[in-house]
Amino acid sequence: MCSVGGGDFDLEIEKIEVERYRCNNCGNKFDAMGEKVVCPSCQSENVVKL
Amino acid sequence: MIPLRNNEMLLVHGNSGTLAVVKVGAQRQFFVDTPESEIMLAMGPEELLVASGFGTDEQIVNGLRCVLYMIREVNSPLIVLPKKHPASARLKIVVSAGERIVLSCEITPGTHPEQHLLCGTKEFDGAEILGVEGGVVLNGLEWAKYEKRGFSSR
Repeated sequence: MCSVGGGDFDLEIEKIEVERYRCNNCGNKFDAMGEKVVCPSCQSENVVKL
Repeated sequence: MIPLRNNEMLLVHGNSGTLAVVKVGAQRQFFVDTPESEIMLAMGPEELLVASGFGTDEQIVNGLRCVLYMIREVNSPLIVLPKKHPASARLKIVVSAGERIVLSCEITPGTHPEQHLLCGTKEFDGAEILGVEGGVVLNGLEWAKYEKRGFSSR
């Protein structure tokens, strides 16, 4: 998908299947993709797609 | 299938380019950061981080290992540059992440319209790298030489 410090990218983010999530534990809202998404703030698995 | 442990890195040597492959190794979250937003990328243990280097010498191999180490071990975010950023033309190593990686030389380095696409040198065009349980499957790379090296202590 893309790269890291020095191996950067020009990724067309809008074409990637990103979904919006909300954490039911801390209320954090975030964008994510993939399976078994957890909250990046509190690491809770109690997240739902918006 | 080529067995690949979590503490190993698979190197695929071409004539003008080199690929490096490591397993994610555990259920992990990585971050993709753009100037506008941040996206969390949730990945499973058998999925792959693949780096493609435009060169074949030991310097490139060290760079490939360094980039993959920064991502997997140091948890460095994947930085996405804006389109036509001048640094894009200077890239010698690019990275892709996923269960299935397809190499393409038809895309400009740094431009990845689909998640699983990774740009590489022409000789790798159309090759496919799959993360499977306990290892890696290489399709279209039968001609290339490969070797495994140590990657991390865990």
